[in-house]
Amino acid sequence: MNGLYVEEKRSREGRETCSQREPTTGLVPSNPTDGGDPTQQDTIESNRVHSLQGRGASEQGRRRRGIGIASGRPPMDMDPPTNNPSPPGPPDSPPPEKRLASLSLRTSHLPPDFEIHDDYDDDDDDEGYLTAVSRVGSISTSASASASAWKDDLEDADVAPPSPSSSGYAAERGTSLASSAAANDDPQPQPDDDDWPRDKKHLHEDDTSASWRKRKKHFFILSNSGKPIYSRYGDEHKLAGFSATLQAIISFVENSGDHIKFVRAAKHQIVFLVKGPIYLVCISCTEESYEGLRGQLELMYGQMLLILTKSVNRCFEKNPKFDMAPLLGGTDAVFLSLIHAFSWNPATFLHAYTCLPLAQSTRQAASAVLQDIADSGVLFALLMCEHKVISLVGAQKATLHPDDIFLLSNFILSSESFRTSESFSPICLPRYNSMAFLYAYENTYLTLLTARSDAFYDLKDSRSRIQNVLLKANVLVEVQRSLRESALRIEDLPADPSSQSVSPPPQFSQDLHFQLLSSEMAIGGPAGLWHFIYKSIYLDQYVSSEFPLIISNPKQQKRLYKAYKKLYASMHDKATGPHKTQFRRDEDYVLFCWITQDFELYAAFNPLADKSQAIKVCNRVCQWIRDLENEIFVYGESTLSW
Amino acid sequence: MASRRRMLLKVIILGDSGVGKTSLMNQYVNKKFSNQYKATIGADFLTKEVQIDDRLFTLQIWDTAGQERFQSLGVAFYRGADCCVLVYDVNVTKSFERLNSWREEFLIQASPSDPENFPFVVLGNKIDVDGGNSRTVSEKKAKAWCASKGNIPYFETSAKEGFNVEAAFEYIFLIQLMLEVLEGNSARQAVNARRYGTSDIAS
Repeated sequence: MNGLYVEEKRSREGRETCSQREPTTGLVPSNPTDGGDPTQQDTIESNRVHSLQGRGASEQGRRRRGIGIASGRPPMDMDPPTNNPSPPGPPDSPPPEKRLASLSLRTSHLPPDFEIHDDYDDDDDDEGYLTAVSRVGSISTSASASASAWKDDLEDADVAPPSPSSSGYAAERGTSLASSAAANDDPQPQPDDDDWPRDKKHLHEDDTSASWRKRKKHFFILSNSGKPIYSRYGDEHKLAGFSATLQAIISFVENSGDHIKFVRAAKHQIVFLVKGPIYLVCISCTEESYEGLRGQLELMYGQMLLILTKSVNRCFEKNPKFDMAPLLGGTDAVFLSLIHAFSWNPATFLHAYTCLPLAQSTRQAASAVLQDIADSGVLFALLMCEHKVISLVGAQKATLHPDDIFLLSNFILSSESFRTSESFSPICLPRYNSMAFLYAYENTYLTLLTARSDAFYDLKDSRSRIQNVLLKANVLVEVQRSLRESALRIEDLPADPSSQSVSPPPQFSQDLHFQLLSSEMAIGGPAGLWHFIYKSIYLDQYVSSEFPLIISNPKQQKRLYKAYKKLYASMHDKATGPHKTQFRRDEDYVLFCWITQDFELYAAFNPLADKSQAIKVCNRVCQWIRDLENEIFVYGESTLSW
Repeated sequence: MASRRRMLLKVIILGDSGVGKTSLMNQYVNKKFSNQYKATIGADFLTKEVQIDDRLFTLQIWDTAGQERFQSLGVAFYRGADCCVLVYDVNVTKSFERLNSWREEFLIQASPSDPENFPFVVLGNKIDVDGGNSRTVSEKKAKAWCASKGNIPYFETSAKEGFNVEAAFEYIFLIQLMLEVLEGNSARQAVNARRYGTSDIAS
């Protein structure tokens, strides 16, 4: 046989070729990773194919349930306050611990979910059993299979975000040109990273390990010949038998001219995504929706393409034996960071990006200099700080897809070498092949995307020009200040003008439930508002408020995001929706969602919040956002093409 | 550990029902044998890691069902195989005669890029039965057939006694290593350059 070496060499060539290719005409309009857009292909729910018995399903009844879904309810009083008080400027400096958790990738303390053991999630102590595969997995044409228990009483601590020095990935990439870090690029303090990421991956585990089976959420990537490419937990090679079983299940259904979408077994859901020769599988008992999990698999695939480009498909066409796993060597940190983001970054389910709040003039200064560069042959110039966009300029009035921005920033933030040097690296935005030039200044980084493979020195010059302008215009100082100070806090929500005469916050005194609330419960904004996310549909951008003290606990934050994901899924449910509003009360929150053609608002209140008060507050939030929109959103680059 | 090149090999075991495919695999992987016959349904999968010199191989063994009613699974199962092990029972002439159709079926369904040189291994199993007295296929006959199909390596095995099983499977690695030598160092160097990151992690 022609060994793998030859094919891998081809793949490398293919990749270079691909990355030097002229960009195709603009962006593909469709968005395959849109979580609200489940597949339209003719597929079945294949529970019938592989019968999966579940025990303990009866216990599901005790789980928290939302109540009072109001679909198509006519909007409440949407009249904006006529006389809005002055929009708050940059608020006073908050205590550092109040910074939004999802922003703190580079801070020296570990993000909140990186706690030893997350056993708070008490809704996971049911035992679910599904018939599936054991080490000697069995795929059968009859409905039987060997039973193996998947206990879910163990909430695994979610993966940590990448620690900076753990990857070393990009440093060894053949095509990465890395100059030494600029003098002002302070080396970051190294977080305690000795046990990461390899230990987080639990390499000693395989599908015979009890601990492996207890993991709440597995991700697998494999080839259509059943060879493992990636597994979230455990060593891929040791999981070769398991991987073969997954391939057999998928192929078995495909042989009958059908496609398998998911299998449900008690609390477990097994979601399949077939992308040509690449199969992606998620096994989860996190109660996330099928659409949500599928969206996550789409992002996994997108991340893989970003690293390897679509030329991997050609490798498989030429040689079905192709073993892709070595190509992803060293990228564990990227995928672990991505999976981490599924729990912590709303961008992964909203399919929108978020911006760093900045004074309009500051952002314009940044955009102007990026626009200069874009006019001189760069496809995109993207200035970001952590996960937040400072400015984004495209040469041809094209826009980057929010998912591409997310995947790009995830790739950059989880690859240490990108953060300490100027790098020139081939990447493939799932819809846009290009070369990327990357320069990082502390936690702020500039990405210039070009189609020219020889553009490194040109872009390097551009970078220093941009940096000079940004320094002169004080932009970088403003960025750091904004990062510290400019978060949206619900306490700052302007008071309702109609009740301004009452001593603020008037809602509390009117709230019949108020006296029942403990003082801790009362912390939060008016009407018991705890948190909100506002997504501008037109801009593909979102803003979210800071977590209040009541949700300062990382587990609570994770749970709230989970509730938002559930809310998002039910609002965008193709079968029953789409819905315009939803008011849902359970023992943890009152959740309110309101979708118009312009925006989506997700808000969480304390569980005893009054409905009409909550709705009024949501109106005020929307008005507040509108008042601030020049600072918290990036507007289209076309407006800056003067 | 990671500085060594690891390689995953997908191995398909084919042959008539009852010739001992599952027993061979169990003997090789688990060093176990059972006289009880249990027909494989669909396919079973086993993994075995083997270190040869400084190389770490992972065998992903696809033990397929011999019964005809499972043949429709072929395409999906055979795709991307690195090696195919053909098994017959030296006491059952029919199982030997069927080797040809197993081989052809595999080549059709797997459609490897170079069918002439696709690595097969042939195993004549159950040589222990009745002290060899009930044997109906001679070693000479089997070797002749193997020679006519491009010199397929041939092994006589006993899954029950563990005779020659290890040697037969290890031949798969040998084939792999030989192929690599033939392809020369240039290809290997390209691959090594490609493996960014792995050596860093190991250090």
